[in-house]
Amino acid sequence: MASPNAVLLVSFLLFSIGIAGVLIRRNALVILMCIELMLNAANLNFVSMARHSGTVGGHAIALLVMGYAAAEVAVGLALVVALYRKRDTIQVDDINLLKG
Amino acid sequence: MDQLNQSLAALGSHLFVIFGLLACAAAAVMIFSKSAVHSVLAFLFAMLSVAACYLTQQAEFLGVAQLLVYAGGIVVLFLFVVMLVELSKFKEKGLFQAQAKAAVPLVAVLVGLFAWFFRQALFGAPAKEALTLPAEISGGLDVAANNAQAVSRGLFSGWLLPFEILSVILLVALVGAIVLAKAERV
Repeated sequence: MASPNAVLLVSFLLFSIGIAGVLIRRNALVILMCIELMLNAANLNFVSMARHSGTVGGHAIALLVMGYAAAEVAVGLALVVALYRKRDTIQVDDINLLKG
Repeated sequence: MDQLNQSLAALGSHLFVIFGLLACAAAAVMIFSKSAVHSVLAFLFAMLSVAACYLTQQAEFLGVAQLLVYAGGIVVLFLFVVMLVELSKFKEKGLFQAQAKAAVPLVAVLVGLFAWFFRQALFGAPAKEALTLPAEISGGLDVAANNAQAVSRGLFSGWLLPFEILSVILLVALVGAIVLAKAERV
């Protein structure tokens, strides 16, 4: 049984790696994966706090977040495919439709 | 024999840390690998490690759900898109965005700040039982042995509305993904 501090630290590390990936990568696929990683870090926190308090709420929220993550990744990947068809790129730097 | 049991118990208490660090390492590989397929594989490894972390937190049902949803569904979806999108033509462009030089120190500062707060965050001992349900829900169920049933009873008693909203959102996402990815608008 790990202490809650260890869980918080691991989930925080995962979250910051996800943020760093969203900020520095140019590939839209990798950015989507980093968003999934951040959702997982939050889930890990929920599960650990559910274990800490012995109640079922954290489990329920973590399960719901998994479903929302699946919906998000489906729409996000469809956007990536549509973007690739329209602009022939998935590098986020090259997407400047609003720049005029 | 006692010594073996003791060392096994000591290993068990460190399993979470081991898998958590494995997940962090896989996530770092995911960010910094050049090829998108390598990124997806590292993502798969990170998700498997997080599932193992759930198991060490006595969330057996969530661990298996994580395996099914991520390893079984989302990673395959990512691999399909990697296959659909021609990535080799992006090779000559830079891997990182222009703001990477500013972003990395910013994240490092945030890590430092949060670590400062975690240093002071102290919690008491965890609950004796990994999971308890109110008596009117549990109905004599052996919660410790039947994690999936316990989670489902909690989910469908206190979290029914979010669950139903989630099902509608999944339907909307399904339709939206089809509309977005369709080749030509009719």
